[in-house]
Amino acid sequence: MSALLIDRLQFSFTIMFHYLFPITTIGLAPFVAGYTWKAARHPEDGDAARAAAFWTKIFAINFAIGVVTGIPMEFQFGTNWARFSARSGSVVGQTLALEGVYAFTLESVFLGVLLYGKRYVPPMFHAISSVLVGIGTLLSSFFIVATNAWMQHPVGYHIGPSGKIELDSLAAVLLSPFALWAFLHVLMGAFIAGSFVVAGIGAYYLLSERELALGRRFLRSGVIVAAICTTLAAFPTGDRNAANVTTYQPVKLAAMEGLFTTQRGAPLAIIGMPDTKNGTLIDPIAVPDLLSFLAYSNFRANVKGLDAYAKTLWPPVELTYYAYHIMIGLGTTFSGIAFLAALLLWRGLLYRWRPMLWVLLLVIPFPYIANEAGWVVTEVGRQPWIIYGLMRTSEAPSSTVVAGETMFTLIGFAGMYFMLGVLFLYLVLREIAIGPGSRGAVRPAAEVTA
Amino acid sequence: MNAAGFWLLAFMLTLYVLLDGYDLGIAIITPFVARTEEERLASIRCIGPFWNGNEVWLIATGAVLFALFPQAYASAFSGFYLAFMVVLWLLMVRGIAIELREHFPSRIWHDFWDACFFLASALLVLLFGVTLGNLLRGLPLDASGFFLGTFAFLLNPYALLVGVFAIAALALHGTAFLMLRLNGAPSDRARTAFSRLWNAVLAAYIIVTAWTLFLHDSIGEIRPFVIAMVTLSVASLFAIRVACTQKRELLTFLASAAFLATLLVATAGTIFPYLLPAYANSLNGISIYSAAPSSLSLITALVFTAVGLILLIAYSTIVWRRLAGKIQL
Repeated sequence: MSALLIDRLQFSFTIMFHYLFPITTIGLAPFVAGYTWKAARHPEDGDAARAAAFWTKIFAINFAIGVVTGIPMEFQFGTNWARFSARSGSVVGQTLALEGVYAFTLESVFLGVLLYGKRYVPPMFHAISSVLVGIGTLLSSFFIVATNAWMQHPVGYHIGPSGKIELDSLAAVLLSPFALWAFLHVLMGAFIAGSFVVAGIGAYYLLSERELALGRRFLRSGVIVAAICTTLAAFPTGDRNAANVTTYQPVKLAAMEGLFTTQRGAPLAIIGMPDTKNGTLIDPIAVPDLLSFLAYSNFRANVKGLDAYAKTLWPPVELTYYAYHIMIGLGTTFSGIAFLAALLLWRGLLYRWRPMLWVLLLVIPFPYIANEAGWVVTEVGRQPWIIYGLMRTSEAPSSTVVAGETMFTLIGFAGMYFMLGVLFLYLVLREIAIGPGSRGAVRPAAEVTA
Repeated sequence: MNAAGFWLLAFMLTLYVLLDGYDLGIAIITPFVARTEEERLASIRCIGPFWNGNEVWLIATGAVLFALFPQAYASAFSGFYLAFMVVLWLLMVRGIAIELREHFPSRIWHDFWDACFFLASALLVLLFGVTLGNLLRGLPLDASGFFLGTFAFLLNPYALLVGVFAIAALALHGTAFLMLRLNGAPSDRARTAFSRLWNAVLAAYIIVTAWTLFLHDSIGEIRPFVIAMVTLSVASLFAIRVACTQKRELLTFLASAAFLATLLVATAGTIFPYLLPAYANSLNGISIYSAAPSSLSLITALVFTAVGLILLIAYSTIVWRRLAGKIQL
């Protein structure tokens, strides 16, 4: 295998594993902050304190794995992608440094207060800390998405005399249209995952006929947030992202939709399997003219297909196509589930109708798949570029690191992350099994001195 | 401006060592001063709320290095590929150990994570010391600044000795912090261990300094500023001893911090203006001039980093004041 391929495998493996945890951190942060805030404002509400303690515990385990798997991400740009870093560091280094100096720091300092400080600080200080941790996670995701948005659609730079990319305007990089909508879409994805986790665990408690009061509370807040965020994920954030791709990365759009031939009134493929050899979709079910309408608000608009571009500029079509359809299909399903559950909640039937509770329990892993699939579309669809139109991925790896070294560390990461995954599942499932009932105002002995 | 970037990084790295130094030090001394489960728990609780906020200084320093001097970031990290990966893995093990140890109430679970915490922390400090030693000794770099040596080259006797010195110095720093935050048996044992540790630090310091002088051809080459810093570090080292004898715990800790800070500033002053100095007087070292991007991006990064650090120091101070004070066993 080539060093490039192993570098790419290592990056995609470490980032996809890592990303599972930030999704949960971002998605649970509003719930942790909400319950902690409520517990501080209403000391008589014992359930709020128990809910806060329970979700803080889950959040803490998740955060621990997220932090440690995040450390390699910050440094892999230098270890594995040195030529990319040396050439584009003037821009990419800025946003990453902003994350390091403004976001990580805020998160880490106040997480200490949130986890260990309950006994030492006033309840309000504790509640504010939980909000600041949430703000830290949001800032962190903004800077990371802004970095990625620049790689999708470079702005605010010029090429220096030595071929290096030089920063012209940090504001242009941070306020790029790509960054804003991608960030909001990423947030919605994480909130959907977080809200389905909260609702799903509530459903689990009702199904197993324990922790009834808290189970209902989790279900209610989870379902409401899920209904709002599934809507916002599609419109406007998903729609605006697609518009950016249509404008700035039309070949990615063609790959996402499996559109091989340029045509007026392009159809929208609901299912179908791309055949890149013959340039067709196999067994498609398609809605005529709809893609033209979605892309250009005109049913007869001309949409460029993959045939409009040299094959060397195509992203890997199959992966981009499937990832996109998985994301869209799952997203639509989440919307349906959230609205049905919200309707049942409104009619007062949700807590009793077990089939719906089962659906909410079993849906928990799928928002993670949808989130990861969305990033696969973004990243695989950007190929063959590492910086769109400026630098090819094949020009980016470190010149001094050979395939054997990267293979060694890839195996190392695989082993370590497997253990981390087992550890995470074990500890989180254990907390769920213990349940929130014994927490809160009366904390278990092991925590009292914390 | 390039020099300002260099000193900003030196400042961040120094603060990292002062802060994460005490929790690394506590990890190293805990097995020796804390014997029961309660004592070990109390010892780790001394750093529980802080370690993550301390370690973030390292991550932030790495990111700011990327923004200020991308060429140095790229060469260093890809050049020392294996060494950096080992450091990353150790950081991961250490973080997991301290965060997850209390999520399961069982003797064997605690023992396992305590051992991981100790081993990962001790190895990390050794490797940090080795890195510092190699920076002082110089590195074999090719004309475009990429590292030509091997992992084995990095583990030379001089660098390993600096590594041992780092373990002793941070163990002393951790002991000072433990005495500051904890009463009872572990604190008493720490006090007993303190003078032995101090002797070890002094011995290692003398050998390292002599060897460093030997590496640099003539004493006349050394900058007066560096000589002043080294003198201050000697004074701080004796101040640690005096303050500890007088049982002034905060002063002991501050003197230890001053000792580490002066040594690090002296190191930075020695290698300046190089970020990665070349071995044996070759001219291939990466300096703050060869590694910097355009001045606009340097200014931008300098300004927002400085503002961010002021904010960080402000809210960290608020949190530290809230959570300071003795931990009860």
